[in-house]
Amino acid sequence: MEERKVKLRIYGMTCDDCVATLSRGLRSQNGVLDVKVSLKEGTGELVVDPERVKPEELLKNKVFSGPSHYRATIIDQSKGE
Amino acid sequence: MNLDSEIQDFDLVILGKGAAAFSAAIKASELSNGEMTIAMVGTGPLGGTCVNVGCVPSKYLLEASHSVFRPEHPRMAGIYKSQVGHDFAEVMKGLRSYVAHARNAKYVQVIENYRNVRLFTGLGKFVDRKTLAISDPDSNEVAAISGSNVLIATGSHPTEPNIEGLKETGFLTSDTIWELNELPKSVAIIGGGAIGLEIGQALLHFGSKVTVIEALDSLLPQTEPEIGSALKKHLEEEGMKFHIRARVSKVSKSGNRKSVEVITHRGKEILDVQEIIVATGRQPNTQYLNLEAAGVDTDSRGQIVTSNTMKTSASGIYAAGDCVSKRLFLETLAAREGVIAVSNMFGEDIRIDYDSAAWAVFTSPQIAGVGMTENEFSKKSGSCSCRVFSLENLTKASIMGETEGIIKITVDPKDNKIVGMHIMAPNATDIITEGAYAVGNGYTVDDIIATSHIFPSISEGVKLAAQSFIRDISRMSCCVE
Repeated sequence: MEERKVKLRIYGMTCDDCVATLSRGLRSQNGVLDVKVSLKEGTGELVVDPERVKPEELLKNKVFSGPSHYRATIIDQSKGE
Repeated sequence: MNLDSEIQDFDLVILGKGAAAFSAAIKASELSNGEMTIAMVGTGPLGGTCVNVGCVPSKYLLEASHSVFRPEHPRMAGIYKSQVGHDFAEVMKGLRSYVAHARNAKYVQVIENYRNVRLFTGLGKFVDRKTLAISDPDSNEVAAISGSNVLIATGSHPTEPNIEGLKETGFLTSDTIWELNELPKSVAIIGGGAIGLEIGQALLHFGSKVTVIEALDSLLPQTEPEIGSALKKHLEEEGMKFHIRARVSKVSKSGNRKSVEVITHRGKEILDVQEIIVATGRQPNTQYLNLEAAGVDTDSRGQIVTSNTMKTSASGIYAAGDCVSKRLFLETLAAREGVIAVSNMFGEDIRIDYDSAAWAVFTSPQIAGVGMTENEFSKKSGSCSCRVFSLENLTKASIMGETEGIIKITVDPKDNKIVGMHIMAPNATDIITEGAYAVGNGYTVDDIIATSHIFPSISEGVKLAAQSFIRDISRMSCCVE
């Protein structure tokens, strides 16, 4: 299975609860294989199955939709090793 | 400069400092609650074309010129002509002062509130898809930056047609005319589009002799032909001269006079004028961006090709404003495109709707339009239905003594939905918004008729134009709903 790394810039994180909420929400998305959210960097590093989820679809995850105050943009997307 | 060691990273790099750039920076700041780090890169004053050399100074000049012209040309019984004293140099000083105020209030002070936005003065040039080098006017690299996303919003500048002797003779454009302090006694304007006609009428109203040379066979080809010819007739009655379907073959200078050789269907004519204004359109500011390095495609004119989500051919790079390949070049569209580009960076799926974008020409009377002309819709669908309403049948226009104008509505005969509205009338730039709502939301002429319009007003003309689809309005009393 081909894997793709997607790095998100995540806005609105203030504490470890935010990290847990975002990690849980992103991990539950179809096609997401692994999630590492960094409060310090304000980023999320994801490994996804590109056949099941496009990088842009990650931005439509419910954790980034109203009334949530979290927002994200794509920083990078590359094929995994 | 060693690019690798000194690259400053940003979440978003915006190339440009105008309407598209500002609306994008503000929207991005709102969506990220001020967390998004933004670099705004550009040359020239903040605010771009619109506030500095476009909409704002041209409307100021027009308003000032009407203040001089109208008392000299009263339209109501019992009102006598009166000469308005004016000092053109003081008017221009006032204009520049207002432009400085508007730039300061709407751009300089605004951006100071956004601590996440850093301004860079210089020319941004792509090194690769995410990295840009910024250089000063001497081409020295002063900074290197990178952005996870990039928005190109570099705007446009006036074209300079390839006319023999033009550069040597000297000329003004909509970028340079605002520095004038003395009214030119006579002017040849090359180009009969919105910019040429607005500047032309303003100078005419101040007292210049104005001749417009237009290559096409009508003025304002984006609008209905009835409006183009009605405006030409009106401007001719005010004293403006036109050479239509004509081209300038060469220009020259002798002392403080300029000579313009015009080729018309009647042959060659020589215009002897004090000043030449070039208003032949605008071209995108994309030539120095090194777009190839980023993989950004352009069209044959150098305009950036985007999807209707404002994405370019390069991943993570968007474009907005006058540098984009499209049909209408408006400050309002630039601002909307900037917002759409940024919203889509955040995962939204918003698309630009050019069909319901209203445009305007601020001559007197004003011209405004939205959607398709009768001809455009007929070509597209094979049929259409339209009505032309003359302002001679509008009470408010008659009271004002300004009946030279029309309102034309085009509908899709299949469902009566309004697909285009074009207006020549006082305040057309205000009342066209009704057309924008109608075209954007698929309203029918019945929706317009069922909506109360103030009597007597110019906007009532829109309702009467709609009513003319269902009844003979010459046999209608006032206020029939």
